[in-house]
Amino acid sequence: MPQTGLHIHDLHVSVEGIEILKGIDLSVEAGRVHALMGPNGSGKSTLANALAGHPHYTVTSGTATLDGEDILTMPPDKRAKAGLFLSFQYPAAIPGVKVANFLHAARQAVRPGDLSPSKFRAMLFEKMDTLDMDAAFLGRYLNDGFSGGEKKRLEMLQMAVLAPRYAILDETDSGLDVDALRSVGQAVHALRATEEGKNCGFLIITHYPRILAHITPDVVHVLIDGRIVMTGGADLAHRIEREGYDTIRDEVASRA
Amino acid sequence: MHNETERRAALDAFVATPSGRGRPNRYWKLDLDALDVSAFTPNAASTTVTISAPNGVTACSLEEALDSFADIVARAQEHRGNGKFAHLTRAFAQTGAFVHVPAGRIIDEPIHIHTRANDADGAFALTIIVIEAGASATVIEEFEAVPGATLVYDSHAEVGESARLTASAIAHVPADARVYVTRSARPQRDAHVAFSHADLGAALAVAEIDITLDGPGANGELDALFFPSAKQHVDLLTRVDHRVGHTTSRTAIKSAANGSGQGRYLGIIRIIADAQGSDASLRDDALLLSRGAHIDSVPALEIAANDVKAFHGATIGAIDEEQLFYMASRGVPRDQAEKMIALGFFEPVIEKFPTDSLRKQLREALEAKLA
Ligand SMILES: Nc1ncnc2c1ncn2[C@@H]1O[C@H](COP(=O)(O)OP(=O)(O)OP(=O)(O)O)[C@@H](O)[C@H]1O
Ligand SMILES: [Mg+2]
Repeated sequence: MPQTGLHIHDLHVSVEGIEILKGIDLSVEAGRVHALMGPNGSGKSTLANALAGHPHYTVTSGTATLDGEDILTMPPDKRAKAGLFLSFQYPAAIPGVKVANFLHAARQAVRPGDLSPSKFRAMLFEKMDTLDMDAAFLGRYLNDGFSGGEKKRLEMLQMAVLAPRYAILDETDSGLDVDALRSVGQAVHALRATEEGKNCGFLIITHYPRILAHITPDVVHVLIDGRIVMTGGADLAHRIEREGYDTIRDEVASRA
Repeated sequence: MHNETERRAALDAFVATPSGRGRPNRYWKLDLDALDVSAFTPNAASTTVTISAPNGVTACSLEEALDSFADIVARAQEHRGNGKFAHLTRAFAQTGAFVHVPAGRIIDEPIHIHTRANDADGAFALTIIVIEAGASATVIEEFEAVPGATLVYDSHAEVGESARLTASAIAHVPADARVYVTRSARPQRDAHVAFSHADLGAALAVAEIDITLDGPGANGELDALFFPSAKQHVDLLTRVDHRVGHTTSRTAIKSAANGSGQGRYLGIIRIIADAQGSDASLRDDALLLSRGAHIDSVPALEIAANDVKAFHGATIGAIDEEQLFYMASRGVPRDQAEKMIALGFFEPVIEKFPTDSLRKQLREALEAKLA
């Protein structure tokens, strides 16, 4: 019986020979929302990129399984097919590739042939409506000349279209105005309201509890210097907002 | 066409005129200056030219035009290109096309000039396009060649005051054919020329595209793409000549190569001392899709005036890993992602081609090359 969930065990990751993640243990269960917080440079994006299979990030030891499947041996596209989705902190721009064509190629790759072209279009318009996105987006080139907020909305549209089993949102909330922030919350709720996405597990990387007002986390993890130093409930996010990371650092140091 | 004396003179000029291209090197083995013309034994049956034009346009063979419109042809001939391969066409051509759009006439439907190389003896054709003052037209120059053929083509357009010409050519011939194409235009005061050009690979495709801005307010736009694959060679030269002040131009080139494809590009912008207040830009991007592919891009900005704007930008390299990873993270496999990114790379130039069917033809041809 394969074990469901996104399970990360003792994960060590290096970038250009420097160890950034020093043994991460973290599990996101199907249908649950985890938040990952930590100071700049602590390794949050490194974790996200390593799980997604970015070639610059080298896993030196440890394991990561998605519903029982070892994802670390898979090329990045196979990880997406296995059900992993990463909303990037800095999405790449691809001039000349139209949003509509790309969304279609991605959906076809992840869920081959499950929707006729007309059903796909209908689904696309419905999702765009939920996210308050203009149809003109579809004719634009992927992230090319997009504002920061537009890029994040497009990331959420892709999440909606691909309906992953586990979604990692790397600072999708950063730099967003209140309306855009709300639409990120809506994107998560809308996905969970669908048959395809009702069991989606989320790992939400953020600096701000304000996104967590829209999506209440079941669990909050604190990452400092490549290690998860504290895990708690939603209140932990508010403690970080009040006190910063210093008191947590002190507490961890005194425990050691 | 030309009489025997003129042909001899043209052939001498061909031999005497340097190609202006780089010398052969480690990648590029062909010497355009050593081309042996004794291989050409053209006869009237080697070349077929077909012209189709909407009402309101005079379109006929160049042979007929020499009888009926001798003065218009003679005036246009004075200004035609003087590059090495233009001389070659003049030395051998026995046929060609003539298109004349009268003053003020706006023609929406494209004019097609189809040139076919029927055999391996060498096909030669000359085209003359005259767009009179205030007129507007779109010309599509089509080429076709049987396997092993050589096609040598030269067209020149005179574009009168405030006239507009959009002209487009796609060289898509069998992989063992050779094409030498010269295209030139001379827009006059406030006239506008938009040239688009595609070389999709022949054994050898040599192209030379010239826009001579010859009146204040004249504007030239030149968008070209080329893509040698397998063992193909493409050699493109573009030249925009700002001959008077207050003229504007934009040149944009996109090239890619895969297999052992070899490409060379020489982009010349010339602004003479008297052409003050001119504005030119040259942008050229090259994409290398395999280790054996090579593209050599050389910009040449010859700017003698001081009160002008001249921009040059260039990139060369492989497909960006971040782009590939982004697409892979959404499930798109690497080979499909490469194809989509490479097609997207060409898209800004494809969009400049004037008809849906040309754009479709280009996308399909590029897709086939990327397969
Ligand atoms: N591609 C890379 N090349 C070099 N160094 C990197 C790379 N990616 C991450 N690092 C380094 O690894 C460390 C962790 O970076 P990471 O991006 O994971 O931090 P983060 O927690 O996401 O920070 P932020 O909150 O600023 O987004 C930093 O010191 C960073 O400089
Ligand atoms: Mg980060």
